[in-house]
Amino acid sequence: MGISLKWTRVARTQPRQGLRAGLRSMSPAQRREARWGLIFISPWLIGFTCFYLMPMIASLIFSTYSFKLSAPGDAHFVGLANWKRMLFHDSNVWEGLRVTFTFGLISLFIGMVSAFLLAVLLNSKHLLARNVFRTLFYAPTMVPLIAAIVIWSRVLNPQTGWINKLIDLFGIHAVGVTGLRWLDDPKLIYFAYTFIGLWGIGNAVLINLAGLQGVPTELYEAAEIDGASWLKRLWKITIPMVSPIIFYNLILNVVGLLQYFIVPWVLNQGSGYPEGTTRFYMVYFYKQAFTFQNMGYGAALAWLMFIVALIITTVLFTTGRSWVYYSSEER
Amino acid sequence: MRKARFLAIVVLLALLVPVVSHNNAQPVKAADRVQIRWFVGLGAGTDAPLIEAQNKLVEEFNASQDQIELVIEIIPNAQAYDALSTEIAAGNAPDIVGPMGIRGRASFPGVWMDLTPLIEANSYDLSDFDPALVDFYKVEGEGQLGIPFAVFPSFMLYNTALFDEAGLPYPPKAYGEPYVDADGVEHEWNTDTLRDIAMYLTVDANGNDATMDEFDPEDIVQFGYGNQFTDVRGRDTLFGSGNFVDADGNAVVPENWRAAEHWYHQAMWEDYFYPNGVYGNSELLGGPGGNWFGTGNIAMITIHSWFLGWGTDGLEGTWDFAPVPSYEGQVTAKLHADTFGIMDSTEHPDEAFAVLSYLLGDRAEDLTTLYNGMPARLSLQSTYIEHYVAQLTETYPDTDFASKNWDVVPAALAYPDNPNHEEGMPSFLEASARYGEYSQEADNNADYDVDAGLDSLQTDLQAIFDAVAN
Amino acid sequence: MSKPMGLERTMSSYQMARRRRNILIQAGITLLALTVLSIYIMPLGFGVMTSLKTKDQASDPKGPIIPSEAVQYEYEGEKYDVVYVPSDSGDQEWALIKKSRKTSQFIDIHNPEKGIIEWEGNWRALKPVFETSFQWGNYREAWDTIEFLKLLKNTFVYAFVTMVGTLIASAFVAYGFARFKFPFRNALFMVMISTIILPPAVTLVPTYAFFVKVLNWGGTWLPLIVPQMFGNAYNVFLLRQYFMTIPRELDDAAKIDGAGPLRTFISVILPQAVPALTAVALFHFFFAWNDFFGPLIYLAGSRDLRPITVGLTEFNGLYRTEPQLILAAATISMILPLTIFFIAQRVFIQGIVITGVDK
Repeated sequence: MGISLKWTRVARTQPRQGLRAGLRSMSPAQRREARWGLIFISPWLIGFTCFYLMPMIASLIFSTYSFKLSAPGDAHFVGLANWKRMLFHDSNVWEGLRVTFTFGLISLFIGMVSAFLLAVLLNSKHLLARNVFRTLFYAPTMVPLIAAIVIWSRVLNPQTGWINKLIDLFGIHAVGVTGLRWLDDPKLIYFAYTFIGLWGIGNAVLINLAGLQGVPTELYEAAEIDGASWLKRLWKITIPMVSPIIFYNLILNVVGLLQYFIVPWVLNQGSGYPEGTTRFYMVYFYKQAFTFQNMGYGAALAWLMFIVALIITTVLFTTGRSWVYYSSEER
Repeated sequence: MRKARFLAIVVLLALLVPVVSHNNAQPVKAADRVQIRWFVGLGAGTDAPLIEAQNKLVEEFNASQDQIELVIEIIPNAQAYDALSTEIAAGNAPDIVGPMGIRGRASFPGVWMDLTPLIEANSYDLSDFDPALVDFYKVEGEGQLGIPFAVFPSFMLYNTALFDEAGLPYPPKAYGEPYVDADGVEHEWNTDTLRDIAMYLTVDANGNDATMDEFDPEDIVQFGYGNQFTDVRGRDTLFGSGNFVDADGNAVVPENWRAAEHWYHQAMWEDYFYPNGVYGNSELLGGPGGNWFGTGNIAMITIHSWFLGWGTDGLEGTWDFAPVPSYEGQVTAKLHADTFGIMDSTEHPDEAFAVLSYLLGDRAEDLTTLYNGMPARLSLQSTYIEHYVAQLTETYPDTDFASKNWDVVPAALAYPDNPNHEEGMPSFLEASARYGEYSQEADNNADYDVDAGLDSLQTDLQAIFDAVAN
Repeated sequence: MSKPMGLERTMSSYQMARRRRNILIQAGITLLALTVLSIYIMPLGFGVMTSLKTKDQASDPKGPIIPSEAVQYEYEGEKYDVVYVPSDSGDQEWALIKKSRKTSQFIDIHNPEKGIIEWEGNWRALKPVFETSFQWGNYREAWDTIEFLKLLKNTFVYAFVTMVGTLIASAFVAYGFARFKFPFRNALFMVMISTIILPPAVTLVPTYAFFVKVLNWGGTWLPLIVPQMFGNAYNVFLLRQYFMTIPRELDDAAKIDGAGPLRTFISVILPQAVPALTAVALFHFFFAWNDFFGPLIYLAGSRDLRPITVGLTEFNGLYRTEPQLILAAATISMILPLTIFFIAQRVFIQGIVITGVDK
């Protein structure tokens, strides 16, 4: 069923053969299908070769160089020195991965569930003024980055921010230096970041909404006649039917969280404040590659993250076959 | 069918647009002009009013001759360092960069051209500058990296309305004068006196000031003093100049700076007259990176001349200049000095130098006025305040600039910080990031151990410096 | 024969109960959405409020949430703030002529002829009189300063062109990945996913060098537009996922009718995938609308071409910042995309179909 199953099949039937050899071993019908497939994906193949392949290779080569951005002329080959330093002599790397995974796990769960539930809510036939609600929930996603920074850095201020003032109204001491210091308190910081992250949830909701449209209404009708409860319908029909879309969101969320850096970067330029809780891996990459201009070492860091992310996504694709339901799957 | 045709037309149009706009985007270039790219972003020059003025300058330059086409690239400061790095690394570096301070220059070591041969070849006259200032841009091992352009003296600004409300006499008018309090008693104008009056000028929402027992530090609405828009090295310079690196290249925390850090920490967390991290970034003081003094909620700041005009807009002219207070009998008024650099990689050094000569020669006066600097040219210094007042009055008509105590401004040049508070360090970028971390912790924690923090700063800086040496 | 009266009555009361229940559910769900929304959107509300304030209003510790200005009273040519001063006969509105820590001077604005009143106490304890005052001028200023109309045009062209391009290309590629078997399909698919996984910042320098030094596309939109014409991994992935939820029986039926792969794609797959195509279109349009760093570095030096996001930074100097103008310009910049969203979301109408069945 799942993709990786087919992957292994492809790998087995065409072990390390060139494209032409692969084509030769096929029946005419298979060959025609393969040709059409290649024609359809050719735009991407061309674009990839022209615009992505060379830069990717270049960045991999950078990782074997000592390459200072401001002195490209002095760049020189250092072999695996960057990789060795990264894997064996730099505690920031492991610290970065630890922080990224800690925050990622909290944020992934909250983000995925909220995006799905919000989509279900916004898709509900019982919701009045649904169009208005959808638009308003999407609105924060449209806020330009620079404006979002202006807004969040003020709203979260312990002394004058609206969030603490609001919480204070409920009789909880929040305002002030001894109150809730969202961005200064190691215990609160991930909640603050998660909340900021939820603000950009609009796209995930949008994708989920699109997915919900694909569920054939007959299925619901049948279930409703059977007297299945709302929760049961959600669990038995909706979720399996939109699982390919959930899977997409999962992959994008995981990749996005592994590359998480804009919020901590903007808020404290990679200082790790408070108490190292914001020493995200990609923040460290950015600091090395751009702030310190060590692009050689930075490239090694980025490629390590690439490998980690590739392993995780491959695992997800592999396990995905057990829960992602594709209607079109040939049986 | 009609729908399909409509869609096809839309698609076709969409694909045509970039082709057409591409043609529009490339104006016919004057074939025989050499293109010189001027990068703005490491310092002033990225906000709307200055962008307009700079564009005008470029137009005028291009109209004035037919050899060079000057193109200006303006990148916001937050992204400018990354953008310039990318351009340099990709072999697409600009020709001229500026205005930039010492920080901007030190962030890109080794990319600047030694101007000495060009100065000699063009017999460029440096006699109109203070030789000390020319030497300021001479970097050991790299050469003459800039021609002086503008200096930005620092001074204290105080809010006269807040002094009036408190019933306090104003700070002294000139260096060397004492502060005379309400009872006529004279006090030396130093950091202790500053602390005393700043506490009285710090007020909570109930109207209690920071000297009173009833004072509520959780609800402050007005602060006494702030060293605005600067970092640890900048603020510590109030207590005398220094650097985190000594003559032998070792990491140090100068004793006067240690004293300064204790003073600031106490000012934030015990005396409350100095905005801590929370208040300093709150809307009360203009939000993160906000203009404290411009809100009218702080009584005194130290600042440079580039602040004038826009910085005091909205205060209805209720402010004046005062001298920088002394520490242990010594005054240190930190100095900013900006320049323009030519990049070593340029293919057209002569044309770039021609542009530089135009900017720093023919247009020196306009340019310094634009960036609120004091011209580095001695011949322009006698009249610059006059020009400056005229220009400020024109832009901000509701402030009576002429009535201000301008004498204090050039007087600061007698007390410059040497070494400069932006002076280079080995591994400048790493070292800067590290001391930034120190202040972030110290300014946000009431119980921060300043001594331990500075000791660990010194250890880490030593490690950073050692890594370069190896 | 007519129905017995009793039965009819039970029918209608059953219907009424059902309708009442529906109304209750509607109210409940709408209320829930409203509560969540109001918390969720609060920071945006703050942004809009701040865009309507002067900087002074924003930093006034006593200022109300709604943009307001202290009421002023003119006395002998000067303007003074009016405050409420408590007295035996309730609060009185006095103008604060001279602020001082212990005693302050006032004028009773309703009886100015009484002259200066000396008042003992701390003036900071007095409540200022505010009146609502929206600074619509911020919008005007933001609009004029950065030539907003020009930026809007640039942004729209970029977003629209790349949206159409990437939509067509991505749908093609996604169809190829979703429906055809060819050698190395899954390996190629993972290669495509890799372009999402590799942090874009690490390829920035070589990519920039390629576009600017090799192709000489610096100062134009081409480095940002052309690659999108070949599809985009995010969009291909999403569309492939969606195409794979479309039952293959539909393809087979078309095949039996003699349709080739292209006809099947256009007449079967695309109509089935309208919600996903719309999502991708919106998704990309909004991404391009807010794209910042790419336009910033590729268009450096071509100020006339810059999009809104880059224009906004002009209110954000190194020290000199105008948050109220940033927010005003940002608010205007959101209006068009949100309108598009409001209209385009009508394709997500599954719920309505069910309601139709419900009756």
